[in-house]
Amino acid sequence: MAAAGLQTVDHSALKVNQTGIVVTVLVVVVGSIFFKPAVLLLPLLAIVLLLGTFAPRLALFKQIYFKVLKPAGIVKPRPVQDRPEPHNFAQGMGGVVTAIASVFAYFITQPWGQGLAAIGLALALLVAVLAFVNLAFGYCVGCQIYYQLGKRGLLRA
Amino acid sequence: MSAQLWAVAAVVVIVIAAAGLERYRAFRARRVALLASGGVAGEPYILYFTGEGCTVCKTHQEPALAKLPGVRVDRVDAVAERELAERFNVYMLPTTVVMGADGKPIHVNYGYAPAPKLRQQLAGLGVNFGTTATA
Repeated sequence: MAAAGLQTVDHSALKVNQTGIVVTVLVVVVGSIFFKPAVLLLPLLAIVLLLGTFAPRLALFKQIYFKVLKPAGIVKPRPVQDRPEPHNFAQGMGGVVTAIASVFAYFITQPWGQGLAAIGLALALLVAVLAFVNLAFGYCVGCQIYYQLGKRGLLRA
Repeated sequence: MSAQLWAVAAVVVIVIAAAGLERYRAFRARRVALLASGGVAGEPYILYFTGEGCTVCKTHQEPALAKLPGVRVDRVDAVAERELAERFNVYMLPTTVVMGADGKPIHVNYGYAPAPKLRQQLAGLGVNFGTTATA
């Protein structure tokens, strides 16, 4: 019998989502060296992550997986009995941090705003590093924060 | 380019710091697990529970422990390592636990334990301090 709250979560969708985050942030950081407006991809990423958190069917990267990669057989499904809430929380956290990063990174176009832009890009890179850690090692920091907050009664986990 | 370099440098520093913290946390968890399972220590030693605000620890207990040459003393911050402190029911500081060679607690001293008392407890476990008294 499955434990309470467990559902079938396709971990391949999560992996595609994490890959999308890592690739987008890398494009932003490397791209902004040559073309500063590349940082405008950050607010778009934040919107994608936040929309996906509250309305999973609007999660762009997951939809790419479900509508394209999975039917084409490019990525094999990996259904796991799991709780989707911690993963959604982690994605939401990533979205919030990316949104904050977007605000700072916007100043990259100003000659005096390089310090602020560095903060923004660092925040975005942190999100990418955490997504990569989850992708490569299966360690979800956002999920850990979710469980810790739940343990302390700060969240209904 | 400088903004990108600073960002990468900041993230590298943060990742290294996080990895260091994680290693320390894992080390502490292993230590607690070893003590909880009564891990083999090799020879008797003392677990010394102390804390930042413990004056008696500094004025009395630490000088007493310094009078036990060759004895391994594992200093434990009772606040930071609550799990370990709870295992030995440490309700006051200082507390010294004399551990046997098999890693099991033999004597628990709540409050200040003078050097002669600790020496006697350790001698009962086969620790040889020689004939020179240092009290």
